[in-house]
Amino acid sequence: MINKIKSSFVLFTILLGLLSSCSDELNFDQFDDLDVTPTFESSILFIEIEESIINFSQVIAGSIVQDIDFDAFSQDLFAKRVISGVVTYEIENTTSKDITISFGFLDENGVLTDTETFNVGKAPPLVSLKREVVYGPGGKSLDIIKNTVKIRLSATNTSGDYVSVNQPDSKVVLKSKGEFKVRLK
Amino acid sequence: MKKLLLLSFSLILLGNIELQAQHKQLLYDFQEIPQSILLNPGVETPYKWYSGIPIVSGFSTSIGSSGIAAGDIFANDGLDITDKIRARVINGMSANDEFSFTNQVEVVNVGFRGKNNSENFYSFGAYNEFDFITYWPKDLAILAFEGNANELGRLYDLSHLKLRGELLNVYHFGVNRKINDRLTMGVRGKLYSSIVDFNSSHNKGYFVTNIGSNNLIENTIVADMELRTSGIKSVRDAARDSEKGNVKSTLISRGLLGGNLGLGADFGFSYYIDEQTVITGSVLDLGFIYHTKDLQNYTLKGSASNEGLIINVDNLFASNNFWQDLIDDVEEDLPFENTTNNYITFRPTKLYGSYRYNFKKQNPKGNGRNCGCSYKKPNNLRIKNMYLNSVGGQVYVINRPKGPQVSLTGFYQRKLGNFLTAKASYTVNKFSYTNVGLGVSIKAGFLNMYLMADNLLAYQNLANSQYASFQFGLNIIPWNNNR
Repeated sequence: MINKIKSSFVLFTILLGLLSSCSDELNFDQFDDLDVTPTFESSILFIEIEESIINFSQVIAGSIVQDIDFDAFSQDLFAKRVISGVVTYEIENTTSKDITISFGFLDENGVLTDTETFNVGKAPPLVSLKREVVYGPGGKSLDIIKNTVKIRLSATNTSGDYVSVNQPDSKVVLKSKGEFKVRLK
Repeated sequence: MKKLLLLSFSLILLGNIELQAQHKQLLYDFQEIPQSILLNPGVETPYKWYSGIPIVSGFSTSIGSSGIAAGDIFANDGLDITDKIRARVINGMSANDEFSFTNQVEVVNVGFRGKNNSENFYSFGAYNEFDFITYWPKDLAILAFEGNANELGRLYDLSHLKLRGELLNVYHFGVNRKINDRLTMGVRGKLYSSIVDFNSSHNKGYFVTNIGSNNLIENTIVADMELRTSGIKSVRDAARDSEKGNVKSTLISRGLLGGNLGLGADFGFSYYIDEQTVITGSVLDLGFIYHTKDLQNYTLKGSASNEGLIINVDNLFASNNFWQDLIDDVEEDLPFENTTNNYITFRPTKLYGSYRYNFKKQNPKGNGRNCGCSYKKPNNLRIKNMYLNSVGGQVYVINRPKGPQVSLTGFYQRKLGNFLTAKASYTVNKFSYTNVGLGVSIKAGFLNMYLMADNLLAYQNLANSQYASFQFGLNIIPWNNNR
């Protein structure tokens, strides 16, 4: 009998302990406020034009112009999530020519929505330019990026010299990368 | 749906991942509860027969994370949730931290002593089990949360993606034999009927951003990754197309040996060193499942680097398909492929061992035939004197994707009259040093009920608990007429 009373007491204590468990207040609505906005970077385009080609470009009215398909920005995965970005350009010129390089964005209608133009003086010494262009808040319209399906490249010899060659490997090099913040949540 | 996901997430955060296959330290060697024979087929069986009440004879679940609790994220503390997740999850958890959920429901569990040879005790049954475990994919989470910008040279380790989940039915039959007064041994054969399986646990590779050899930066991925699934396709088809059946019937069909099958075995023993001291041991789920049906595997294997579109004037006028060429090159170097190759999964093998010292005889006049034990036993079965108290230690080892994990338990067990036995345990493992558990087995008429819960100290504040685990069940066991 005493054992049964003791057992009942233990059982009661256990159940009381379990029932008296408690918890801090949790607020699951906070999940709505979660911002997951990573910033990814990737190279966009690299192009090099040798001085001999620039000299040859005399036969094509002194300019090299080409449109290049570029669908990375218009993909839904990117276009619907991008919230800001920076496109970085670096240009080096080791030729004996003054060169003007244009980097343009075209939408699906072939409309040029944005252009960055670089006037690069002749070498020597080595001429190097760097430019960062902001898109989104505080910068150019983000729609330019979202709607881009082609890149228009043009290089123009503005020195009028189609003969001289600094070195056998003299060239103009354009490097570029994009750094974009996207909203995953 | 979002609430459901949040609830699931928070529940996951309430557990201890170490228990992918649940550590049942309270139930182990708890002879008054028939389900203890499933943890050690060589446990002593002091009853003539038992029958679990179908569906409710055994239910156990555990859920948790080794690195974080629900309160760390969802506490109403006025802090910004993005900052909390960045600090406590993304940067706070390691690749060895885990989330898990385990659930086991007995469908049938019956045991009976041999008619002609009372030294033998037979048991059989079936249970449904769901296991899920994922290690925290730290580097992938950082990449998704922060991105790769301004992280030149940082390797994001793809092997951090390591997960496994399975839903299966287990059909089993075991024989437990009292070899002599000192030794009891047992073996259990198992037939696994896999319903759904998915695993991705042998991934290798990395993603890195470096200064480019041509362009400003170069992104490189080297991957050898695979996700293997079985059973998911038919369930998904059934959910989408009623002509292909419905989800419920598909799951039932696959569980009734219509899915992928496997074989396994458990072994165990109990050995009395002296009248009051006993050691036990068991190895569970030495087995495998061979997946041959309803397969859908995905692989990503190769390496690719990207510096954007690389153009020189030689190719500038030849084509303007540079973008498509780049995509084609990446897909060729790093193909993402679907396969239906057969595969084998090994069950997570578990080891239990214990040392137990019994003291204070329940019936000081007991002589082996009048043991004072609660349950009806055959007259010719020799059972040792029963003791009111037991104290001892247990060890538990489970084979995990990242190597074996060990838990150590100390316990005290006490009989309170003929109708209640209680067991208290204290368990230490790499995830917790404060795991106190309590289990009780209660007899009422023919009914045996048991209830067990772990990590009781955490009940003071469940929101900050990383581990929740409980087991309960109902059985029918005939009383001893002499009680």
